[in-house]
Amino acid sequence: MFTSLILSAAAAASGSSVPADGTSWTIHADKVYTSTGKVHESALIVVDGGKIRAITPGVEATRDALKAAVVTAGMIDASARLNSGTASVEQSSEVTPLISAEFGVDLFSPGWGRLARTGITSAFITPLNQNCIGGMGMVLKTAGDRSVKGRTVEGAPMICGAIGSQPSQRNSSAFGRPTSFFNRRPTTRMGVEWEWRKSFFEAAQAKEPDASQKVLLDALAGKVGVFVQAWATQDIRTAVFLKEEMAREGFGEMRLVIDAGAEAWREPAMLVRTNTAVILPPVPAQGRTTDGALMSVECARVLRDNGISFALSGHGGSRLDLQAGLAMRGGITREEALRAVTLTPAQLLGVDGRVGSVEAGKDADLILWNGEPFEATTRPVGVLVGGHLALDPR
Amino acid sequence: MKSSLTQPLLALGATLLLASSAAAAPQVDKTAIKAGTVITLAGEAIPDGVIVIEGGRVTAVGAASEVQIPWDATVIDQPGMVAFPGFVEAHASRGIDRPNETLDVAPFLDVKDSIDPVNFYFEEALRQGILTINVQQGNDTVVAGQGMVVKPFGMTVEQMMVRPRSGVKISAAPKRGKTRATQAQALRGAFDDLQRYLEEMVQRQKDGDDFDRREALYQGRELEGEAAKGKPLACSGWTVDGFERVPRGEVDEKREPLLRIIEGKLPVIMWCATPMDVHAALRVAEANGFTATMTLALAPACWKAAAKIKESGCSVILAGLEDDELDPITGESIETFVPKVFHDAGIPFALMSTGDANRSLWYQAARCVANGIPRADALAAVTTTPAAILGLGDRVGKLANGTDGHVVLFSGDPLDITSVVEHVILDGAHVYDRSKDVRVKQLFDGTRPPGTASDTSGEEEWPGDGDDPEDDDDTENNG
Repeated sequence: MFTSLILSAAAAASGSSVPADGTSWTIHADKVYTSTGKVHESALIVVDGGKIRAITPGVEATRDALKAAVVTAGMIDASARLNSGTASVEQSSEVTPLISAEFGVDLFSPGWGRLARTGITSAFITPLNQNCIGGMGMVLKTAGDRSVKGRTVEGAPMICGAIGSQPSQRNSSAFGRPTSFFNRRPTTRMGVEWEWRKSFFEAAQAKEPDASQKVLLDALAGKVGVFVQAWATQDIRTAVFLKEEMAREGFGEMRLVIDAGAEAWREPAMLVRTNTAVILPPVPAQGRTTDGALMSVECARVLRDNGISFALSGHGGSRLDLQAGLAMRGGITREEALRAVTLTPAQLLGVDGRVGSVEAGKDADLILWNGEPFEATTRPVGVLVGGHLALDPR
Repeated sequence: MKSSLTQPLLALGATLLLASSAAAAPQVDKTAIKAGTVITLAGEAIPDGVIVIEGGRVTAVGAASEVQIPWDATVIDQPGMVAFPGFVEAHASRGIDRPNETLDVAPFLDVKDSIDPVNFYFEEALRQGILTINVQQGNDTVVAGQGMVVKPFGMTVEQMMVRPRSGVKISAAPKRGKTRATQAQALRGAFDDLQRYLEEMVQRQKDGDDFDRREALYQGRELEGEAAKGKPLACSGWTVDGFERVPRGEVDEKREPLLRIIEGKLPVIMWCATPMDVHAALRVAEANGFTATMTLALAPACWKAAAKIKESGCSVILAGLEDDELDPITGESIETFVPKVFHDAGIPFALMSTGDANRSLWYQAARCVANGIPRADALAAVTTTPAAILGLGDRVGKLANGTDGHVVLFSGDPLDITSVVEHVILDGAHVYDRSKDVRVKQLFDGTRPPGTASDTSGEEEWPGDGDDPEDDDDTENNG
């Protein structure tokens, strides 16, 4: 097994092509999985100024190169759930499309480092799932720059929300109870569905739409994606039927992404006909997830077989490489598992111009593995985020 | 012998394949298993290997060309599979009722009275290839009681039993409601109480007071043979003068397990949550002479006490692989891969599975490999090392002549992410077949066991909860 990793600092001192800003490297890998279907053998990757400059297959390692058995693109967690708990839920209303996760982000949370060291180089951050329509999400790099602006990867704007029991979980009617913030609607799953439909109908029919409604109109026009947490098949149905209802009414065609679609395997046909993408939650220990949904191990395989675009996620608590491994256990190939944690989430989030694959010109978000990726017997031994070493392989 | 239909797992609705014989059934006298690879853990892996089991014990392991299969043996021929001895769980507080008694010091309790043979945990253990489990009380205690080594198959505790009274669970970490100081005091106190009690027994003996004798008879103990004889106290920590005058049978049954501990006859598993607990544990063990028979069960943070543990010669059971510590000033997180520390220090370590089936013993061992521990040592940590800790080193955790007839057939290498347990042979009986495990089928493809209300096997689409037949029409409207 590969163990020796050669220090590049010595080479840098001897005047080689490695500048001192810490974002330029040469990396040699026995194999490079690019996520685009290509595999480069014995390749040298040149990283300069945080970008991948060149990939040269079939060459020997240079003395100063960082070495790895396998190099892949950094993983992208489309449902990293790295937020400040209920503090990220705006409680002034159930529908708050104007709010952005941007202003709730804590770059100093140790969670970022943890994500980066396990090979996650970009994460989609959303307001928490206790509002019906919670607000705008954003894609952030997990390491590198010290400002939110510098860490943001501009992608397709996404409005995030939840359908199911969670948005109504703590609410109750005011009758016979001490007055509290939670004396509000909705108190049921039906109420949650109603809030969603009402918001979109009102926005579509408003004579002078307000700022919030304009966001929803952009969603109906497909300019803003709709990212909906729906664990159980009944909630996935609600989301899909909402999209179809809006289209029937002539309001527009939403771009729908189902988050935490544990039961997406039950009715793949409805996802196919509406061209809906799915983010899968971590495989639970005994099949059951939140909202009583049953997530089968073969969920990813069913989605693949039906040609549905899917990404895997770790929800902040589970290693994403293990999730990719479990998806392989469920019947997809290593190549497909790799796409589901790199290129596919990048495409769903509209950031595939910058990240998601190992190609010249893209950000140097790379994982150096000590063996075949996603095996329980291997791990990321080096991680680069925009050229910065988040995990030093040396 | 019961027929397969009465097996508890079936009663649970999990139609695991139960071969025509039950767990403890002697009907299957001879079984031969042919596998593409046999991992013995007692030497090199054998390509095209054969394992012969007779009367529940392995009688031959070797290459197909060298081993003679008895003519009357039942042959399980799986050329595409990998045979493996089965994992050994050194410590689990599962498959039982509440893990801890509220009483602080209860060495007389036996987990045997708490084990539930139809508990889902045992079914899951079988599915994960864990064939030997030491069931112990939980960590919320001072002296918790005695454990029992079982195999995860059988209708009654007796059928599951491998070794009763396997060891006593003690905790050096504070029980709920205690501080570290009161915990240490309670722990010391338990042994001080024993010493005082034994001294009082000697005094009563000298005084001609037959209280202990009457009490023993009242408790129903026969005071004959060995029980009628006295022996000097064999404890390296302390002694009680004149104890040889006391017939051993007169020692109160509630105290007797502690006496066995200090005389090194009953092993101890000591739980430590922090490095300072390790020091407390080693002190009390040293003072009472059971260091040599103690195994430390450790939370991840305890890696900092590795040097001290190395000195003591104790083996360890690791509950958790990674220690994640926040630097109090910089806020940076400091991660330590715990088994590597013990491996590098040369301390024998066993791994423990977590409650998550996706992180069972195979996964724990695989993570060790990922973090630079040689494969052989990682596999030892889930097989031979826990077996040695439980005093079953010559019976389980490896495949060799004379070991128990336990074999797991994996679909591939046991540490590969895509490998699954296909068959389990326990004491020579074929007790698990994945192709007939409806629960696993349900977990993998979502189908429900046949005959249940919402059987969705076949082509029909899942109707959805709160099904509305109109829903499907919406598709047509959409065109």
